[in-house]
Amino acid sequence: MVQVYLVFTTNNFPWLTIIVVFPIAAGSLIFFLPHRGNKVIRGYTIYICVLELLLTTYAFCYHFRLDDPLIQLAEGYKWINFFDFDWRLGIDGLSVGPILLTGFITTLATLAARPVTRNSRLFHFLMLAMYSGQIGSFSSRDLLLFFIMWELELIPVYLLLCMWGGKKRLYSATKFILYTAGGSVFLLIGVLGIGLYGSNEPTLNLETLANQSYPVALEIIFYIGFLIAFAVKSPIIPFHTWLPDTHGEAHYSTCMLLAGILLKMGAYGLVRINMELLPHAHSIFSPWFMIVGTMQIIYAASASPGQRNLKKRIAYSSISHMGFIIIGIGSITDTGLNGAILQIISHGFISAALFFLAGTSYDRIRLAYLDEMGGLAIPIPKIFTLFSILSMSSLALPGMSGFIAELIVFLGIITSQKFLLMTKILITFVMAIGMILTPIYSLSMLRQMFYGYKLLNVPNSDFFDSGPRELFVLISILLPVIGIGIYPDFVLSLAVDKVEAIISNFFL
Amino acid sequence: MDHTYQYSWIIPFVPLPVPMLIGVGLLLFPTATKNLRRMWAFPSILLLSIVMIFSVYLSIQQINETSIYQSVWSWTINNDFSFEFGYFIDPLTSIMLILITTVGILVLVYSDNYMSHDQGYLRFFAYMSFFNTSMLGLVTSSNFIQIYIFWELVGMCSYLLIGFWFTRPLAASACQKAFVTNRVGDFGLLLGILGLYWITGSFEFRDLFEIFNILIYNNAVNFFFVTLCAFLLFAGAVAKSAQFPLHVWLPDAMEGPTPISALIHAATMVAAGIFLVARLLPLFIVIPYIMNLISLIGIITVFLGATLALAQKDIKRGLAYSTMSQLGYMMLALGMGSYRAALFHLITHAYSKALLFLGSGSIIHSMEAIVGYSPDKSQNMVLMGGLRKHVPITKTAFLLGTLSLCGIPPLACFWSKDEILNDSWLYSPIFAIIAFITAGLTAFYMFRIYLLTFEGHLNLCFQNYSGKKRNYFYSLSLWGKEEPKSIKKDLCLVTLLTMNNNEKTSFFLKKTHRIASNITNTPFITIFPFGATKTFVYPHESDNTMLFVMLVLVLFPLFVGAIGIPFNQEGIDLDILSKLLTPSINLLHQNSNHFFDWYEVLKNATLSVSITYFGLFIAYFLYKPFYSSLQNLNILNLFAKRGPKRIFWDKMINFLYDWSYNRAYIDAFYTRYLTEGIRALAELIYLFDRRVIDGITNGVGITNFFVGEGLKYLGGSRISFYLLLYLISVLVLLISCFFFFNFFSF
Repeated sequence: MVQVYLVFTTNNFPWLTIIVVFPIAAGSLIFFLPHRGNKVIRGYTIYICVLELLLTTYAFCYHFRLDDPLIQLAEGYKWINFFDFDWRLGIDGLSVGPILLTGFITTLATLAARPVTRNSRLFHFLMLAMYSGQIGSFSSRDLLLFFIMWELELIPVYLLLCMWGGKKRLYSATKFILYTAGGSVFLLIGVLGIGLYGSNEPTLNLETLANQSYPVALEIIFYIGFLIAFAVKSPIIPFHTWLPDTHGEAHYSTCMLLAGILLKMGAYGLVRINMELLPHAHSIFSPWFMIVGTMQIIYAASASPGQRNLKKRIAYSSISHMGFIIIGIGSITDTGLNGAILQIISHGFISAALFFLAGTSYDRIRLAYLDEMGGLAIPIPKIFTLFSILSMSSLALPGMSGFIAELIVFLGIITSQKFLLMTKILITFVMAIGMILTPIYSLSMLRQMFYGYKLLNVPNSDFFDSGPRELFVLISILLPVIGIGIYPDFVLSLAVDKVEAIISNFFL
Repeated sequence: MDHTYQYSWIIPFVPLPVPMLIGVGLLLFPTATKNLRRMWAFPSILLLSIVMIFSVYLSIQQINETSIYQSVWSWTINNDFSFEFGYFIDPLTSIMLILITTVGILVLVYSDNYMSHDQGYLRFFAYMSFFNTSMLGLVTSSNFIQIYIFWELVGMCSYLLIGFWFTRPLAASACQKAFVTNRVGDFGLLLGILGLYWITGSFEFRDLFEIFNILIYNNAVNFFFVTLCAFLLFAGAVAKSAQFPLHVWLPDAMEGPTPISALIHAATMVAAGIFLVARLLPLFIVIPYIMNLISLIGIITVFLGATLALAQKDIKRGLAYSTMSQLGYMMLALGMGSYRAALFHLITHAYSKALLFLGSGSIIHSMEAIVGYSPDKSQNMVLMGGLRKHVPITKTAFLLGTLSLCGIPPLACFWSKDEILNDSWLYSPIFAIIAFITAGLTAFYMFRIYLLTFEGHLNLCFQNYSGKKRNYFYSLSLWGKEEPKSIKKDLCLVTLLTMNNNEKTSFFLKKTHRIASNITNTPFITIFPFGATKTFVYPHESDNTMLFVMLVLVLFPLFVGAIGIPFNQEGIDLDILSKLLTPSINLLHQNSNHFFDWYEVLKNATLSVSITYFGLFIAYFLYKPFYSSLQNLNILNLFAKRGPKRIFWDKMINFLYDWSYNRAYIDAFYTRYLTEGIRALAELIYLFDRRVIDGITNGVGITNFFVGEGLKYLGGSRISFYLLLYLISVLVLLISCFFFFNFFSF
């Protein structure tokens, strides 16, 4: 007994392996559950999700120290001896936030997916498989493993999209898989290139790779390879067109995962690989990041009011908000990178909640286009309230997390020493124009949906306001949004030391 | 007395529990919360009263000691940036605190009655209390980040409250317009804050001012950049205080319930811009360009607001333009550097305008019972008139507010406006002339509103024959371009019939006037009384709560001027306001020897008061109901007889009313160029996105498809074909090699 206890408390216990493998392993048991309707499957999945979240939280609470910028909870097992490929996991301050976000959002998305009844066995298995894939890619310390995990979560998304999507789901799913698989090719090229460079043996360990230096031209080539892969995922313009289509068609629980976590994997990859491994190339590319990020904010924010489809409008808004992350990454300052990480977390919450709201209101009125809606505030006041609050947080109202993140990114540009004053002024100015455009589309979305008075010719016009389940999902997303907005150190403290370590590479 | 100051951080948080509790209650336990609805008004009023007592105490402290207190603690701890939270108590803050809490309490009490039958009663109180919280936070904040946070929160509350009746499409677009316009200002504010942070490295006001002054003194900063930052900061104030280019949201904001028009869009939130400029005056004052710009914007707004207010049909819109004009006075005063006058006018105007708005709310409440709940009807001055007899208490209050706003001597606004007008002579004669003319215009439009609303007879009853009259005063000048819409005739009857059914017996006992008895004695029109059953309902006075609030508020315009009037006691020529503001004025290096000469005052006051009276009399002549006296008829004829002059006069009036009715064409301009522009841009970008960027993707996909199909077609799985292809390619290769080598051999 004592030994068992010791195993649990010492560092040797493979926490991360369990955390990564548990959902998919437990998920594959779904197929062996007795045929007793969807209720069992749903309950089982939610149970697994919550258990996983608790497990993650426990492990991070007791075995992770925030003040240490090094890799913790590290574990490595030889997998393929032939080319030094290890099952190597480990987390640091950078990945704690996204992993916890993954656990949180996936649990809520599973809860949100309760209305799904068609083929729910497969659906829930795919959700759990995505859970594993996402946590795996956030916590892998081996390049090839990162790539494998990266690919692992593509398949569930593809299936979720092409089986439970809307009318044009096949087109969207194909587009999605082609885009991301196309990006993955470049990722693979980059991974192999970095791994095979230099020494006789392939090195895929991120720690060793972080200290390696390359000739500038080669570094730039690697950088571009990774950049394309992550740019598709983030998305960065002009690789963004899969996103509105995918979000427009996917079921809203899939949308929550896509917008909440998958997009963040691109940003995470940019920080983790492009910034950490290839600092010289990153400092060459950073002005382009700033320019592209600024353009993206304006471009997507002005494309958004032209959308008739509610979900597409939210999708464009999330492209626009990803621009802040790109700018934060491009600014190469402590402040900017902190802001980008905060924005990763904050946007994860906000966009997931917005997609959930869009989905639930779609469930009720069965109308996808904004100009057909109107006057919904009377039949569904609670959804109206929460939609208003979350739109406000999406347009960076102070007191909510979005504002802090954007403000810190702004400060990051202002304090950046790399750029000239004039460029900084210009970029800040143009970014701030995005601040004017954001309320235009999000408030007009609110106005078109809820304000006014209109008799809808809906088949079931006596629909209900949101029930306890939906309210629970929304409030549990709203609480962290407000919490971070009031006390941002919750999230900032996770990654501060790691960010400092990364940035110090640039000023050697 | 540090104890008091130490605990003053609590000020903004005192009213906070109410909106939180109501919000949580409405989301989670809607029925239980709604059952307790009237109970919720009590804690919000109570908590605000606590704040009021506290802030009165604070300002007494300020008067006695004139100290500035600041306390700060950190919010985020990071190596590179740290945000801090703090509070900053100085005379400006304490004045604003008292203003917000007193008006806030009165408006809360008022709206308890005003909103009592509204479904969104609880929501209303939650928004109002949240607004109070954020406004109190705004005035006590000690750094720029905090100001920005509360600035936006206040804007959000305004958005929510304008869109309170969300089923009205007009309200829906008005609230969006307000938010977006304010966001344009916030854009400037944020950029200005960031720019100043870049220059000075601090967000704290006092550090920032100090560093800034040193930098300016040493000429260590790029002057252009500094001016730009200051300009951007000022843009925030311009949007919030509805100054000239960004004023378009304020009149539309009147779609909200009337109590919030009194609290937010007349007394407190729109004054936030003035507050910000006053707070940052140490910064602005070292940049003369900005000071000139501030006064220029101020004077443009003063004049524009007044001209726009001339021909509004809607009573609240008229008041809104008047608010805009008065805010312009304050901005003008700040631009001239007369800090004290601006604040004085801020206080007096806030109380007078709150009184006017509450009065108009009471009128609307009375009218709603007759004409229905559409703001087109219940706020339309076309349909009012003669309310003097029916709502006497409201009339008294409204008249006092009007007189005060016009600047009639014993009332509050006289003192403050006179001070501004005096200072404007010293600043620039042109500005002074415009300001004086506007004083006359103010008197004109305020009295116009008063006369149309309260004098004469209830116009609603004349709707039937308004079309027959060919009098140009009525058909043209009063309502501008648009002819008054004829009200449905059965409107009165419907009310009547329902009433007749229920309370026919008590109906006549209630001293309700009958239409016939009033109207037959008019000179122009002889009215054939309807049948005996066709009696007409007249508006009633509002409930006691509302009247009580108005009566309390009447005291303020009567006496609040006293804080700025110097009393000669023991040889010290100091009034309360000056005493309070001494440190701030000294801080601004002003000519603080503000010596007060009664003779000087009298001289200047005579001019302004005479202009005011002039405006007042013109209004009286033009809008005195023509059918009420024979004497008036003579004047009418007098006007009518001047043939050639009349055409010009007509044109003038026509132009003026068109100008005013179309809101100086600014709204149309914005709609045409900005809104449509953004819409077109959105369409264009979406088209680009779909056709070009997505087109490339789809094109690649389709090309791949065709290439694949083509290959499939080519490779028909016949060996002979493959062999042929192979041979051809080998041949091509050989030939090309041959040519290639030949090429090199030469």
